[in-house]
Amino acid sequence: MAAQALAAAAFREGNHALAFPFFGAERRGAPVLAFARVDSKKIRQRTQVYKPDYVVVLDDKLMGYVDVTAGLKEGGTLVVNSPLPPEKIVTERPVKCATVDATGVALEVLGVPVTNSAILGAFAKATGQIKLESVEKGIMDIFGARLGEKGGRKNADAARKAFEKTTAGMSVGGRKFKPVKKWLPDYKELPLSLGLRVTMTEAGRVGPGSFDVNKTGSWRTFAPVLDDAKCTNCLICWFYCPDGAVVRGEKHVSVNYDYCKGCGVCVEVCAPKALKWVRTEEVEEKLPSEAIA
Amino acid sequence: MTTVKELPVQDYFTSGHTACPGCGGAMVARIAMKVFGPNTVVYHPASCMLIFSSTYPNNAFKVPFLHVLFENSAVCAAGIKRALNRLGKSDVNVVAFAGDGGTADIGLQALSGAAERNEDIIYIMYDNEAYMNTGIQRSSSTPFGAWTTTTPVGSVHAGKVEFKKDVPRIMMAHDVPYVATASIAYPTDFIKKLEKAKAKKGFRYLQVLAPCPTGWKAESSKMVELARMAVETGIWTLMEYEDGKYTVNRTPKFSPVQDYLKAQGRFKHLTPEDIKKIQDWVKSKWEKDKALEQVYK
Ligand SMILES: Cc1ncc(C[n+]2csc(CCOP(=O)(O)OP(=O)(O)O)c2C)c(N)n1
Ligand SMILES: [Mg+2]
Repeated sequence: MAAQALAAAAFREGNHALAFPFFGAERRGAPVLAFARVDSKKIRQRTQVYKPDYVVVLDDKLMGYVDVTAGLKEGGTLVVNSPLPPEKIVTERPVKCATVDATGVALEVLGVPVTNSAILGAFAKATGQIKLESVEKGIMDIFGARLGEKGGRKNADAARKAFEKTTAGMSVGGRKFKPVKKWLPDYKELPLSLGLRVTMTEAGRVGPGSFDVNKTGSWRTFAPVLDDAKCTNCLICWFYCPDGAVVRGEKHVSVNYDYCKGCGVCVEVCAPKALKWVRTEEVEEKLPSEAIA
Repeated sequence: MTTVKELPVQDYFTSGHTACPGCGGAMVARIAMKVFGPNTVVYHPASCMLIFSSTYPNNAFKVPFLHVLFENSAVCAAGIKRALNRLGKSDVNVVAFAGDGGTADIGLQALSGAAERNEDIIYIMYDNEAYMNTGIQRSSSTPFGAWTTTTPVGSVHAGKVEFKKDVPRIMMAHDVPYVATASIAYPTDFIKKLEKAKAKKGFRYLQVLAPCPTGWKAESSKMVELARMAVETGIWTLMEYEDGKYTVNRTPKFSPVQDYLKAQGRFKHLTPEDIKKIQDWVKSKWEKDKALEQVYK
């Protein structure tokens, strides 16, 4: 919706604009990718954007395992949702960078950690390519159509607030990324037992039960934190966790933050109220260091 | 009877799958696989569960796994079972996990055929009450009044016009050894039914209410609570049809249906008349359930 609202805003300024999502299986909370292409002339190119002028990151945790600046043009700008100043943002190479705590803004203005409207305010401030007024109108167009006049207005307010709070600077370079290996064998190379048991390949484990290579912990916005002393080890949270992210222990359970998507089911079902709900920043050190989306 | 604490620590449905946070279907799969264990083969039709549990080249089910098509779950599972029998591996549980669309609509003929032949399989319908994987379209298992993208809220109609199809009763009409409904909110009842399904021979059908945060437009943390309210309001009956005997496993509190409806965005447009219609439907459903208990003693 952010890409759509940005395109709508650019359109309102008399440009041609396209917005489209990355094609693939999309799930709530899972890392996603969307594109907006803007030009003063008619746009004929319909492909994905491979060399963007601007990259907008709605979830800074992604930056630990996705090289977000990989395609960014020389002199391009990176806009990141982060409470940190740009000088604290580590990328593969130093780039022009602007940051804003869009999650904070969204929680304050909208009451939910949905940052796709707020971040557009930061985009307007950081790039100077579009007026804040147009962004607000674009948001009203797109978000308003879904959420009604009032909902649209609120999201536009979030963008305005984020605009005011955005700081610009340079990121620091030096982050190293391991090249991601893909396993795309010809059908003749497929091991016969692929559907039957886990098989080791050059890209890691594949087949039944191998999905644990996918660390879904990066999806969270809120995280459950356990007060060990209050836990009665009733295991009801362990029973319900759809992600198998509650681990049984001798005296109490614990949370496996590599996989916890932060749905909050465990917090709700915990009778002794031993689980507390906090924003992920507070459990940052427990985040998966190397997650694969 | 196995309690929550006695369930195996080991998961046969692993972490790392890509279901939405709070997915009721993922809870069903994980708990069911704990009961069925490693000596199981799983079949999936096209559905959310297929997509979130098996994204090439990874799979969350730690057991042999097959997917063929959307419409033929029951017959594919039956084929797997017959092949295993030929191989002398008749002790393997063959389980099909299918969505409500894949069961109540497009898969119904294959389901009916397999039930009529009393194929030796376990068929689990995880009922999230719409075609969620393709972006929330109505199914015949979508309840009355629910918004979906194909039952939009407009000036002529608001949400689904028809009431939910009663698939368990269709399965009862096949007189198979075991038909049951369950809700994730009642762990012991759910585990008991999974165990019964595992222990019995012949065609076994289990329909589990699997709340969907995305399609029901509700808080992901409230999924268990919703599954409980569905039962307590009488909207979802916990029943069993076992070797010809019909039992309602839990008498609901009959709390007002609003409690359940108002917690979900998909029902937010309902008028007081709509709500009354649902309340009346609950009443007539309960009367039918009581009558069935008398007929199938
Ligand atoms: C023959 C056929 N028609 C349509 C589709 C597209 N399709 C894939 S999943 C799906 C919806 C499945 O709904 P349901 O069975 O309720 O499972 P859910 O996704 O809700 O869990 C559809 C329509 C398909 N794969 N095959
Ligand atoms: Mg469904």
